[in-house]
Amino acid sequence: MDIGELKKQSDISYDIAVAKRNALEKAHARLVVVYNEHIFRADAETINLVKTLSEAHTSPFYVLDTNNNPVEISKPEEFLKTLIERNQEAISSYHQMSKTFAKRGD
Amino acid sequence: MTKGVLLFCFDTPDFQYHKILEKCVALIKKNLKLEVTVATNFETYKHLKPLGFVNYKFIEPELGNKKNGLEWRNVDRHMAYELSPYDVTLVMDIDYFPFTDNLRQFLDTRYDFLISKNAHDLTNRNSFDTRKFSMIDMVWATVFVFKKGKKAKRVFDMIKYVKQYYTYFMDLYRVRDRRFRNDYAFAIALEQANGMITYDTLPITLPTLPPDCKVLKMDNEGIAWQYNDQVNYTKDQDVHVLNKEVANV
Repeated sequence: MDIGELKKQSDISYDIAVAKRNALEKAHARLVVVYNEHIFRADAETINLVKTLSEAHTSPFYVLDTNNNPVEISKPEEFLKTLIERNQEAISSYHQMSKTFAKRGD
Repeated sequence: MTKGVLLFCFDTPDFQYHKILEKCVALIKKNLKLEVTVATNFETYKHLKPLGFVNYKFIEPELGNKKNGLEWRNVDRHMAYELSPYDVTLVMDIDYFPFTDNLRQFLDTRYDFLISKNAHDLTNRNSFDTRKFSMIDMVWATVFVFKKGKKAKRVFDMIKYVKQYYTYFMDLYRVRDRRFRNDYAFAIALEQANGMITYDTLPITLPTLPPDCKVLKMDNEGIAWQYNDQVNYTKDQDVHVLNKEVANV
């Protein structure tokens, strides 16, 4: 066992962990989106809710924004498109970053 | 409805804040694409390089506050309502560098006053867990948005009141930090103005570099820093830099 090599790998792992945490935070920041003058997170929960309501409920329907205020959604397709676009923009950027982490950790 | 950014910048005997302002304004213009107004004094203004179209409001900073024994000219934030020429204003610390357009959208909400309660330590040490330093949640007056109207005016009037009796409120809320901090003045005012229950917030976590991080490089995309023997960087992510030596990078 080469302790020097192990310490080096430990340092690399630490760097990767910090960079990964920051990249995830960056993705979370990008998931926040303003629609219809209210603030939402374009996360899986919001997308699933809007998708479900748009299929199982006639519009308009109502959802809560990040401050728990109710918002009328009269154009579900438009809202869903906004959420999905922002979600994929953020997560695909995180995915690109993840590839660089994998390379450094090899 | 007019929209823009309001910044406060005053050089001190120890730090050339105008150099930080120059970096911040360039990023605002590139990424947020909003009109900028700077509240400053003539002593600071005369050192600024040309920044393109920027409005200036000349005020004399209130002196007397100190941080680590050095002069800290941070007390004038309560005047943002009166100083802003905009209907909707984004107020930022000049050491908050907007490498994205993320903040831009918050000027398009129906909220009268929005501020964040959370910061993310970019060194992953969780050094901004401020809850244990007072009886109330601290807010980060680093970034906030307000829309002129009765509600925002009430908040700023309350901030002025809290500032006037700051020592009393610090004792009331058992704030450990004895310096005047906008973060606590705003938190206390929002709590008081909103019936001591709750208030609307920005759902963002401000990415922040602690003061013991040395900024090695900064360009218009991101920032690299050193902490102990670790070097790291981030790009396309807003960063609040607490080490004022960033002025010289």
